[in-house]
Order: sequence, then C-alpha cells, then structure tokens
Amino acid sequence: MSRAIEVRGLVKRYRVKKRQGLFKSSVEVVEALRGVSFTVDYGEVVGLLGPNGAGKTTTIKILATLLLPDEGEAYVAGYNVVEEPGEVRKRIGLMLTVERGFYGKLTGRENLEYFAALYGLDKEYAEKRIEYLMRLLELDRLGGDYKLFEEFSLGMRARLSLARALLSDAPVLLLDEPTLGLDPPSARRIRELVKRLAREERKAVLYTTHNMFEAEIVCDRILLINRGQVVASGSPQELKDKLPRLKVLTLVLRGGSREKLQSAMRDLGLKYEISEEGDFYSIRVHVKKPEEVFNEVVKRLISSGFDLVSARVEEPTLEDVFIYFSEGSL
Amino acid sequence: MRVLDLVRAEYKLVYAEMIRRKSELVLLILYPYVFTGFILLVGCGTGSPRVFEERVGVNPALFLITAGFTVMALMICIDDVLWRPIWEAWIGTLPYVFASPVNKLLLFSVMPLPRASLVVLIGSTSLVPLYVYQYGLAGIPLALLVILLVVVGVFTMIPPSILTSGLLHAFGESWRALNIVRPLVIVLLGVYYPRYYMPLVARLLSYALPSSHIVESIQRILLGLVDEPTVLLLATGVLLALLYTPASRKSLVLWEKRKVREGVKTS
Repeated sequence: MSRAIEVRGLVKRYRVKKRQGLFKSSVEVVEALRGVSFTVDYGEVVGLLGPNGAGKTTTIKILATLLLPDEGEAYVAGYNVVEEPGEVRKRIGLMLTVERGFYGKLTGRENLEYFAALYGLDKEYAEKRIEYLMRLLELDRLGGDYKLFEEFSLGMRARLSLARALLSDAPVLLLDEPTLGLDPPSARRIRELVKRLAREERKAVLYTTHNMFEAEIVCDRILLINRGQVVASGSPQELKDKLPRLKVLTLVLRGGSREKLQSAMRDLGLKYEISEEGDFYSIRVHVKKPEEVFNEVVKRLISSGFDLVSARVEEPTLEDVFIYFSEGSL
Repeated sequence: MRVLDLVRAEYKLVYAEMIRRKSELVLLILYPYVFTGFILLVGCGTGSPRVFEERVGVNPALFLITAGFTVMALMICIDDVLWRPIWEAWIGTLPYVFASPVNKLLLFSVMPLPRASLVVLIGSTSLVPLYVYQYGLAGIPLALLVILLVVVGVFTMIPPSILTSGLLHAFGESWRALNIVRPLVIVLLGVYYPRYYMPLVARLLSYALPSSHIVESIQRILLGLVDEPTVLLLATGVLLALLYTPASRKSLVLWEKRKVREGVKTS
C-alpha cells in the first residue's frame, strides 16, 4: 500500500501587496514553503508544529487541494493533489477553523446531512453514518439534533467539525488546529478520538497545533516547521534527544555564599545558572546524563559548606525543542 | 439517487434559512407586489393606463403583475447564483464546498431552484385569479401557460447566471457587482420595457439573454399571438441556454482555478 501522504520539495510563494498610501503599492514575494518534504503512513498521527507563519496551514491547504504549490509534488492516498484533485477530495476528511464553516440556520444533524449530499454519500449510508457520528462525538446528548449551529458552543462546533471530517470515512484526515480555543474537556475528547481513529481505524492524520502538550500526547511523530522548512522530525522523545543539553539538574542549597558556590563549581566544565532567594541558592546544571555528575557536584558543594535542601532532574519539554529549533537556542 | 439528494439538501438549506429567518420569507412574498405597486404608481403618475393599453396592447395591471412575477422568478437565479459564493465565503463554508467532490455545475444549477419554485408557487396564487377576472374561465389555461413559461424562463436563466457568477468571482468577488448586474439584467430581459422599444445596442444585448426570448414569448401570448414566431422565440431561448452551459461550466472551472492559485481563504 502506498503512503497516505507523501510530500516532496513543496515550495509556495505568496505575492504580498505592500501598500504605500492610497494609490501606490509594491509587490513583495514571500516564501511560505521552502522545499518541505515528509510522509505520513496509515495508522499514524503526524503533528505539524511551528510558530505563526511557519507554513503549517499552507501545507494543509495544498494537501486539501485548496491551494496550488509553485514547485514540488504532493500525493494523498497515492493521488497527485494538482493533477487529480477530484480523487484526492474523495479521500480526505478536512477540519479547518473550528468556530465557522457551517450553516447557522441548520441544526447540527441537518448540517451533516447537507455535507453528506455534497460528498455524494448514499442516503441510507449517510443516515447511519450521521447517527454513529452524533453518538460518537456526543452531539446527540448535547442537543445537536435540535440546536441550530449558530446556537452551538465552541466545543460543540469543534465536535461537529470533526464529525464532518469523518462523514465520508475518508482514510486521510487533515486537521488544522482542531482544539484551538476549546475548553480542556472538549480538547481532551477530540485528542482521544483522533488517537483512537489512527489506532483502531488506521486513519492517517496530519495534525497542526501550537500546543506542545497536545502534540506530545497525540502525535506519533512530529514535524517541526519553521520559516517554510522542516527543521526537525521524529517522535517526541527523538526530538528531545536532539537537544545538545538534554536535562536540567536543579539543586537547592543553604549556607555559604554565591562566590563559594561559583568556586565549588569551577573546573567541572558544566553549564549552570545560579539564582538566589533569601538564604537559599538554587543552581540549575544543564547536562546530558545527570546521574554521571550528581555525586561529584553534591560532594563538592557539601565540602564547601553547603547544605543540600532538595535535588530534582527536569526533563526537557517539547516546548524546549520547539524553541531550540525555531529560534536556534534555548 | 445522488442528484436528488443534492436537490433535497438544497431545498432544506434554503427553506431552513427562510423559515427560521422570518424577515426573508416576508420580503420574498411582499417583494413582487411592492415592485408592481411602485411601477403602477410611477406609470399612472407620468402617463395613463389607457395610453399604456393603446401602446402595449395589454391591460397595464395584468401586464405589470405578470412582469413582476416573471422578473422575481428570473432574478432569483441571478441573486442565488451570484450571491451564494460570497455568502459561503463569509460564513466559512466555501473551502468545504471546494474540497468536496461535488460537481460544481450541478450544485450551482440546483442552487436557485428552492427559492424560484417558492416564488412560482406564491406568484401563481395571485396570477390565476387576475387572469380569470380579465378573461373569464379561459384565463385559467392562459395563466397556467404563463406560469409554465416562467418556469422555462427560470431554467434558461441558470446557465447565463452561472457564467456571470463564475467570471465575476474569478476576477474578484464583490457583492457590489450584484448591484450593477441586477438592474442591467432587469432592463435587458425586457420584462417591464419590451425589447422592441429598446435602442439597438440594448436590444442586441437583450438577444443574448436566453430568458429574454421567453419573456417576449409571454408578452406575445398576452397579446393573443400564439403563433410560429412565439414558438420560435421559445425554442431560441432554450437553445441559447443549452449553448451557454459549456461556457458556464468553464467559468466555474476558471473561478476554482483562480481561487486555488491564490488559496481559498480558510479563516
């Protein structure tokens, strides 16, 4: 079976009009994507992470046949997005902005019925599928049968939006910030469902988000995208392992002075920061393997007259990885 | 059948909008009467019903109410087909319409049907009594024939509406364009101002509108001219509409291509 999504060297340039007063303007070319390549397999959730303007939505739009790339190739379920958009459209479930994108005077169910007709679903199949999705996303319990879309809360809108993406049972799901602005329970529900869809129904999911915590728990693999380029990729743990200084050993001490502390740490060749709060000193040591230096550091500090109050090891977060790869340093 | 499902879905969408937004329904019912009343008022103020009947050959009330009914039904096509993409973009559904595998020509052809059929239904309740009042029982088949021709007119209006919509939206979608297109089409259809009174250029433009031929055939029937030229006009209207269809499809493709090149707005 071919890959669910295959992207090779995508380039997209936007012409941005720079207005100078009422009549004058110049055109600037902005490269939104600069040779993006990646793949997504069936049964896999791949997160597309990056700062604002990194090119996440541009990538999703190209894969959803809503935007043409300037260079490169993209395939969804084996079909070229530029040459065979009709085939691609039959195989994608799309979720863009959560708060809009439905008919305000239709109920949740009526909206799904309308889109089912638009997707050319058989009436009987559509009815069963809508029934299943209304239950799955608890829209029936929340009033999706009788409430108009304009009366929906943001959480309900997100659920309805995901229901539409799942309506045609497409093998590839493109979800652009599906939990943006949602309350924690709704966001959790969406995340759990996405993971389940990939695991149990073998859906390929491309998932963009700003939320590091979310990316870490939902995605099997993460693509960090910055200024139109994939700057790092791998599982959340693999990405953390790519950081030059992996962990932080934090020791809280009492007694002595800052000078004494600096003198004790001299010659160890470690990168550290010291902060002071009342009688306490806190020293944060950046190391790859804290267990290798812990004994030596503690021995030196105690022999210099310090009392060890507490010690802990902090794992780097995905946020550290994100900042490191998007800004070049921690 | 999937086409029927799409038709059913469109009816549900449009009727839900109208029934759950009462003001739209009230306006839809009132509009032809207000329009006709306004034209009658202006007509009686600047001329006289007798002069109108002498010049046009039909009772002005009958002519104008028929004209109001016809123009309302035909303008629904222009309104719905031109306005719909702007509305869809506004509420954020346009990307989903683009990204769906639906046949866009079919979708656009179906769009004006719900409102047009409501207008025809409502309009006929005023047309039949008026024709009976004017012609006696013979007015019933005549009114039904006029209604049937208006329905044909609606269908012949769809392809040029789609063509205009595709082109307008391909080169920048603005609801302001609707304000220019609507009055122009009303004039060129020759509903209120028969084509044979138009200047040459306007008349030539009018010939290019398939529905204008249907309108003229309705006017000829009102004059009692059910003859070969009337049938020929009908045939011309239908044929022209069919000729417009491939161009309409192409205009939608052009619109889609341009939107996709720029990127369909998703937020």
